Amino acid sequence: MIRLVPNHAPAIRRSEKVHFTFDGQSYEGHVGESLVSALTRAGHLSLRGAPVDGAPRGAFCCMGLCQECAVIVDGQVVEACRTDVSADLVVERVR
Amino acid sequence: MSTHHDIAVIGAGPAGGNAALVAARAGLDVVLLDEQPVPGGQVWRGKSPSIHSAPQTPESQSGDALRQALTESAVEQLTDARVWDIRRQDDRWALQVLRNGESHEVAASALILATGAREYVQPVPGWTTPGVIGLAGATALFKQSLTLPGTRTVVSGTGPLVFYVASEIRRLGGEVAAVVTPNTRGEWARALPAMAGQPRLLGRGALWVADLMLARVPILWGHAISEVFGGNSVTGVRARRLGENDPGQEFSADSVCVGHGLIPQIEAAQMLGVHILHDPALGGWVPEVQPDGATRVDGLYLTGDGCGIRGATAAALQGVLTGARVARDMGKSTHMPSLRPWRRAAKFGRAMTALSQPRASVAALTTDETIVCRCESLRRADILAEIAIGAQSTNAVKSGRRAGMGPCGGKYCQTAIAALIAAQTGKPLSEIAPPTPRPPLRPVPLSQAAGDFDYDDLPIPKPAPL
Amino acid sequence: MTQAIPYDIAIIGGGIMGCATALRVAEGGMTAIVLDQGDLGQGASGVNAGTLSLQIKRVKLMPYALRGHHLWEQMGDAVGFAKTGGFTLAFTPREADMLHERQTLKAEAGAPIEFVANNRLRDAEPHLTHKVQAASFCAEDGYANSSLTGRYYRGRLQDANIPYREGCKVTAIKEGAPFELSTPQGTIRATRILLAAGAWLKPLAALLNVDLPVNARVNTVSVTERMPPLIRSVIGHATGLLTMKQKANGTVLIGGGWQGRGTPQEGRGTVDAHTVRPNLALAQYAVPALGSARVLRSWTGFEANVPDFYPLAGPLPGVPGAFVLGCVRGGYTIGPYIGQLMGDSILGREPEMPLFDPGRDFEKDTA
Repeated sequence: MIRLVPNHAPAIRRSEKVHFTFDGQSYEGHVGESLVSALTRAGHLSLRGAPVDGAPRGAFCCMGLCQECAVIVDGQVVEACRTDVSADLVVERVR
Repeated sequence: MSTHHDIAVIGAGPAGGNAALVAARAGLDVVLLDEQPVPGGQVWRGKSPSIHSAPQTPESQSGDALRQALTESAVEQLTDARVWDIRRQDDRWALQVLRNGESHEVAASALILATGAREYVQPVPGWTTPGVIGLAGATALFKQSLTLPGTRTVVSGTGPLVFYVASEIRRLGGEVAAVVTPNTRGEWARALPAMAGQPRLLGRGALWVADLMLARVPILWGHAISEVFGGNSVTGVRARRLGENDPGQEFSADSVCVGHGLIPQIEAAQMLGVHILHDPALGGWVPEVQPDGATRVDGLYLTGDGCGIRGATAAALQGVLTGARVARDMGKSTHMPSLRPWRRAAKFGRAMTALSQPRASVAALTTDETIVCRCESLRRADILAEIAIGAQSTNAVKSGRRAGMGPCGGKYCQTAIAALIAAQTGKPLSEIAPPTPRPPLRPVPLSQAAGDFDYDDLPIPKPAPL
Repeated sequence: MTQAIPYDIAIIGGGIMGCATALRVAEGGMTAIVLDQGDLGQGASGVNAGTLSLQIKRVKLMPYALRGHHLWEQMGDAVGFAKTGGFTLAFTPREADMLHERQTLKAEAGAPIEFVANNRLRDAEPHLTHKVQAASFCAEDGYANSSLTGRYYRGRLQDANIPYREGCKVTAIKEGAPFELSTPQGTIRATRILLAAGAWLKPLAALLNVDLPVNARVNTVSVTERMPPLIRSVIGHATGLLTMKQKANGTVLIGGGWQGRGTPQEGRGTVDAHTVRPNLALAQYAVPALGSARVLRSWTGFEANVPDFYPLAGPLPGVPGAFVLGCVRGGYTIGPYIGQLMGDSILGREPEMPLFDPGRDFEKDTA
C-alpha cells in the first residue's frame, strides 16, 4: 500500500528498559520516559479513582494541568505525565 | 534568597523562547522559565532522554533550532521550573519557583508571560474513561516520548489538529480507527483563502488527509463522538452526524484522542491585573494586550497563544516583537521589527481557530448525566440545578458546587460551565467571565511551598483585642 | 426605570449581615431589596475560613457569638455546618501563659472553654505535633462552609420573596424621602437604606458625605486537595496565627489572619507569597503529615474594622433613614444574629441585645 506518511517506528532508538512498580505490579519502561508513556505502552491506563465516586481515571491532558494522572512517589502526589521512569521506581495509586 | 534579572520570561515555547532570545541579544539579562525539561513549549516540545534517536519532523527541527539558539545565547534557562506565584514587589516582579523539590524566588524588573494554551474538550458520556486523552495531550506523548495512545485509536475534534494527530499516529506505526470531525468540507473550503498565505502548512495538511484516505481510514466530516464506551479503559466510541437525528455508528478502539480547540491560558495575566475580553475567534477570553505584547500593567508583557490562539508561526513572530518592545522600553536601542509577518501568520492562525469556535450541535452532545467537572465528578444536571436556583456566574457555580475547586482549578470545566450558564440565562458568553483565578498557578506540595521554617522566627502579632 | 412605589428599605451589600437583616425586616412586614456589586455572599461572607470558634471571640461579644453559633447550627447542612469542637494550641511557655489568661476571661464570659491535658489532646488529634505545651478546648466550636453563603442566602431571599440584584453596584445615593440609588440596573428608590457592604462601607458612606473610619485587613486562606483523615477538630493557635480544619471531603483549610495585599477600593486583594509561606509552615509544624498535601488555592478576603474593633450597628450619623451594619469582629459567626438585631431595630422594636452606635467615639474602648 502506498503511504504518503512514512512509518518511522522502526527507526526510533530508545534508552534501556528498566523495571518499576505501579500499585504493586511490575512494569517495564525506558529510562527517562514519563510514567504515562510507559504505562500507556503497557496498556495500563487507569491510574486512579476519581475522588468523589471512585470511577477509573487516567492521563488526560498529558501536560501537567488536569491532574487526572496523579500518583504517589516517595509519599508525594505527583503527575505521572511529568515524572520520569527510573530503575526500581515505586509508584503507588492515590487512595 | 532571590536572584534578580532584567527580564523573566515564563514559558519557553515559540513565543517565550524568541522573546528571550531577542531581549538577550539586546544586552539584557534574561531568565527563561519553563515547567518542561527542555524548551520548546507544546508545539515544539522536546524529546525525553528515553529517545536516543528518531527521524526528524518539522516540529522537532523548529524546536531543535530554538533550543540550540537558546543554548548559544546568554539567556539563563530554568527548566523543570514551576512558577506557582507571581507578585509585584515594589519595582520588581517576584516569582515563586518550584524546582528540584524546593521553592525559591526569582526577581525581575520586567515580566513576559508566554503561557500558551490548553485544550477544550466538550464533555460527552464516557469522556472520563482511561484511554481518552486530549488531541494536544496526544501531541505531547508523540513529541516527548514517541509513544502511541493505544493500538487502535479514534481521533476526533476540530481544526487541523485532528488530522495532525491522526497522521502522527500513522507515522509512529499506529492504527487510526476513524477520524471524526465536526468541521465540514465546506468549512475547510471557506478557510482556504486565509490559508493561502501559508502554502507550506496548507500542503502538509493536504498530505495528511490524502494519506488517511489512501489508507482507507474513515473520515467522518460534520460528525462528533457522542459517547465513549469502556470501564477501566476504552473499548469503543459512537460517532454521530451533527444536527441530525442520527443513531450514529460505532467504532471499536482502545484509545480516543479528542479536542475542540485551544484556549489561551490567561490566569497569570488576570492575577496580575490585566483586563480580559471575549473574542471567540481567538479562543474565548483573551487578555487586553498590544500586538507587541505591551499591557497597561507596568513592566508586564504578554506574548504568543496566551494572548489569543494564532498558532506557532505567529507566536514565534510575536515573541520577536515582544522581546524587541521590552528591550526598547528598558532603554536599549533596538530595531522594532515590522508587524506585517506576524499579521500574515496570525491571519492563518485565526482561520484555524475559527474552525474550533463553539457550536451548539457539539455542546448538545453533553447529556444530563455527563460529567462536566472531572475533579469533582459533577454532572451537567448538577450544574444546571445550581443555575436554576440562582447561580448566574461561574464563580457562583464554583462556590455552590465546587466546580473549579478541585486540583485542575477549573481549567477543564469552566468553558463548558460558562456555556451552560449562557444557554440557561440567555446572556451572551461575553458576559459570563471565567471564575476568579487563584494562586498557586499549579498545585504545590505544602512542605515545598512552606520551605525552611524556624518557629522562633514567627512574627508574633500584637494580641487581638480581648 | 424607576419603580412606582419605593421599597421600605434598600440594603446595600448582600453578605450575611445584609441578607439576615433583609429577612428580618421582611418578616416584620417591610418591603426590602438587596443590592450587591458582585454576587451575593462573595465578599468576606463567602471567602473567610468558616471558623465558628468561641475561643477567638471578643469577651464583650461572647453573648452575641453564642447566639450566632446557635443560628449556624440551625442552618445546618445547607451551610456545611459541623460542630467538631476546637483546640487552641500553645507551643511555648509564653504562649501558654497568654492562652491561659485569655481563655479564662472568655470562659467567664460564657464560652464553655476548658484547658486540656496533653494525653487527651493526643487521643483526640493523634496527627498533631508533640510540641504542644498547652491547649484549650471548646466543644461548641466548629465550622461552616463559607463558599455556601451566597447560595444559602439566595435561596432564603427567594423563599421570602425578597428581590435581590447581583452585579448591581450603587454609584450614587440621593438623600431624601425616598432615597434614590443609582445603579447600572437603574434607579432604586427606598424609604430607608442599610449600608452593609463590609470592607466597602467607607466608600459607600462617602456617597452620603459620611466618613466612617473603616479599615480593612486582608486575610489569607489556603486549601489543600483531599487528604486522608488528619484532624477532626478546628485547630487554632494562641497567637491567632493559625486556624485549621479538615472538611468532610478531606480538604484542609488553613488560615490565621496572615495579610495579603490590596485595598477594597482597588478591587480584590491579592495573596502575598511571603505571608502564605509561613502560614503553611506553621500548619505543617502543627500537623507534620500536612507536608505532603498539595496546596490548591490561596485567596484573600477583606475583614473590615473600626479603631475600637467593635461593630457598627445602628443609625448612620447625620443621615435620617440610613443605617449601617458591619465591622463585626467575628462577623461570620455573629452576622446572622446581629442582622436580626439590626432588623428589629429598623422595625422599631427593641432588639434582644444592644446594638453598637456608629456615632460613638472610636478611640474609647466602650461599645
